[in-house]
Amino acid sequence: MDAWVIAMMLGASLLLGGVALIAFLWGIKNGQFDDEKKMMNQVLYDDEAELNDAANQQRKKELAEKKRDIDQNKMESNF
Amino acid sequence: MSKVKCDHCHLEFSDEVMIHDGEYRFCCKGCQGIFHLLKNEGLESFYAKIGDTTLTPPTEQFEDSINFDSPAFAEQYITETKEGLHQVSLVIEGIHCAACVWLNEKALHKMEGVIEASINFTTNKARITWNPNILKLSAIIDMIRAIGYNAFPYDASLQEVRANKERKEYYLRMAVATFATMNMMWVAIAQYAGYFTGITQEIKTILNIAEWALATPVLFYSGWVFYRGAYYGLKNRAINMDLLVVTGSSLAYLYSIYITVLEKGEAYFDSVSMIITFVLFGKFLEVLSRKNAADTLDVIGKHIPREVSIVEGETIRSINVNEVKEGDVILIRSGERSAIDGEVVLGEGSFDESNLTGESEPIFKRLGDKIISGTTSIDALIHYRATKDFAHSTLSTLVNLLENAMAQKPYIEQLANRLSHHFSSTILFLAIATFWGWYFWPHSFDRSLMVGISVIIIACPCALALATPVATLVGLSLGAKRGILFKSASQIETMAHATTVVLDKTGTITQGRPEVTKMMTHHPFEIGVLATIVASSKHPISRGVMEYLDRHCDLIETLSIEEIKEIPARGMVGRYQGMVVAGGNAQLMNELGIVVESSSDKSVFYYAVDHVLVATYELRDLPKEGSKEAIALLKSMDLRVVMLTGDHEGSAKRVASEVGISELYAELSPEGKAAFIDELHAQGDVVVMAGDGINDLLALAASDIAIAMGRGSDIAIEVSDVVVLNDSLGSLAESFAISRRTYRLIKQNLGISLVYNSITIPLAMMGYVIPLIAAISMSFSSLLVVGNSMRVRWLTK
Repeated sequence: MDAWVIAMMLGASLLLGGVALIAFLWGIKNGQFDDEKKMMNQVLYDDEAELNDAANQQRKKELAEKKRDIDQNKMESNF
Repeated sequence: MSKVKCDHCHLEFSDEVMIHDGEYRFCCKGCQGIFHLLKNEGLESFYAKIGDTTLTPPTEQFEDSINFDSPAFAEQYITETKEGLHQVSLVIEGIHCAACVWLNEKALHKMEGVIEASINFTTNKARITWNPNILKLSAIIDMIRAIGYNAFPYDASLQEVRANKERKEYYLRMAVATFATMNMMWVAIAQYAGYFTGITQEIKTILNIAEWALATPVLFYSGWVFYRGAYYGLKNRAINMDLLVVTGSSLAYLYSIYITVLEKGEAYFDSVSMIITFVLFGKFLEVLSRKNAADTLDVIGKHIPREVSIVEGETIRSINVNEVKEGDVILIRSGERSAIDGEVVLGEGSFDESNLTGESEPIFKRLGDKIISGTTSIDALIHYRATKDFAHSTLSTLVNLLENAMAQKPYIEQLANRLSHHFSSTILFLAIATFWGWYFWPHSFDRSLMVGISVIIIACPCALALATPVATLVGLSLGAKRGILFKSASQIETMAHATTVVLDKTGTITQGRPEVTKMMTHHPFEIGVLATIVASSKHPISRGVMEYLDRHCDLIETLSIEEIKEIPARGMVGRYQGMVVAGGNAQLMNELGIVVESSSDKSVFYYAVDHVLVATYELRDLPKEGSKEAIALLKSMDLRVVMLTGDHEGSAKRVASEVGISELYAELSPEGKAAFIDELHAQGDVVVMAGDGINDLLALAASDIAIAMGRGSDIAIEVSDVVVLNDSLGSLAESFAISRRTYRLIKQNLGISLVYNSITIPLAMMGYVIPLIAAISMSFSSLLVVGNSMRVRWLTK
């Protein structure tokens, strides 16, 4: 067998494994495994309403940030 | 009568007592209110989600939520995010199931201004972010209460945040190390096969490079903790295990790169990642079972009332405890806990001081008597003048003392740590000696270096690093099965060294509540009347009598008795079918004109009908079942058993003789108990203290190992290192047995790894160790240690 084939296969499989590892690390960092009890139940609360709710919260957060920026700009322009 | 489920809390009651509301049934107004609230908010799918779980009906009376908006509160608990939003950490009470978490999050999310609400189901802790311009915190709290839960704040202290961060960091490092090592294994198998059957140098180099790529993140990312540990060790002029790990793996890593580049010899990348991975696991087990002191003070906060009612002329006003000044007049109602020391100026009644003094009987307070903060009013409605401000009151002082004591907790160095220092220096010395020996023998520099490194690799403290954590983990799970929670693994070892056990009397040896020991009937009487009278009082004596009646008489009918009146510190008087019925102490009897002799040192409850004494009950705080045997067991383990109590000498002596304790000290203040423990320390004893109340806190914090009884106060449980869940002294004695057995296991494991090394190190010094042998030996010694620890679990089911 050509050594080149071995090198390529090794490289490809390590790369794929590495991608999975990075995804897992991202999950840990993101706090997805912080609450073991909730994690196991999460699948029960995973419908459209939850998605809407999450999107809604995101919008609220952005709104609050935008408002703060406007407020700040106002304050700055007052000077 | 058919039982019907309440539509909110799912508890079952008979249909006729339920509130009928259209097609729905509710057990109380509270449940009904919540049900309609959820319906209006569009959250009724909650009921589909909770299934058959039952909830606690909302019955609690809450203190005013306005308090949550006060500046003093904000300063202590609220943090501001960089976006200008406010954030608070709360503990939510009443969460039973995932649906409860869902409901709370949803209800809060629906509120305008709440940016984020995330609740941890495991710990019931919530972090809420909101916009202070739109919403006040009190509104959030009101919402949580309105849907049937309660929330109290806790200080998400830096310590806790740091501990969580540390744990997460370990997960990340371990994930990387495990991934790389597992992949390394199949690359290594090809290497080993090639070693024995032949392999071209070209393929060997490819495999080496793959291993190199895998070993690099393990050594420098996962192994970073060891570099850090070694650095701090050297800074303190100590040779620790980390140094050994770091030298061994770094040298092997560099040597392997050298081999890979020059394309000759065997690379040791697999050993590098194995060492780091195994030792990292051992270290993680240690971190995992380390006690988190941070949570303790949160719970104490829950016990201190945050507001008091002060009387200003005609008006009564609630203010924050910190705002109370000396001389303010404070109103305390029955069932309330006092926050501030003072002197009674109006009213009288009984106080439960068992928390602070260990005195099992209630204390009667009248004009001029002192009120101690932390005590609870049983039936008293009293005005008292503050003689100290909050910061100087007994309760605050106690909390401060406690914080100090916990910071200065004695520390006994673990066997493995003491050993690792000698071990590491010896191995490093041997490795260097081997290298010089080979170099001058004479061999090539390459070969000598390789042999020297192989000594460190083979001696790699994998087994040593796993010996203690694995054994203690087995000990922890053994304890957990028997209802004994060791909060921190290292405490097991300390406990095995204990020489003295100090036991508190009330609540630890005894049950902590009076029980009827003797009953005399002088004239026949109706049990129902007596039962109704005693049921009307919450006094511990009345409860004791009630319990006795419940147990010994069946079918007690509740009768309506007119004008039942509780006379503080006397008893109860009522009227039944024209007769005066009275139950209470000797003083009450004397006032009714009945002569009773009250020489007994026990608590006596007299019952009289129409001024004639008909029955007498003697009550006493009895020792728990099995206490005597447990104490005998403790003594048979060569432990010195001492009893401490704040109670008076007479009752202490009687209990002590009943359970077989010869050494006892009575009438001790909380500080006195702690001082006694310090004295024992000065004599070189390792002290285990078992207690349950606030009065034991200081002593618990001062002791080497603090054991709390499961039914004890939350604070005692938090302060302690070990919790005996089932409250029995038998389990307490068993916890000693477990800790000793675990310690023996630790010693065995350390022995195994040392013996192992004494065989393999000479082999390495003679130059017989190739990568395969290094890998096998490492795995095998670790397996031996883990297997030996598991053996205990199989033997003791």
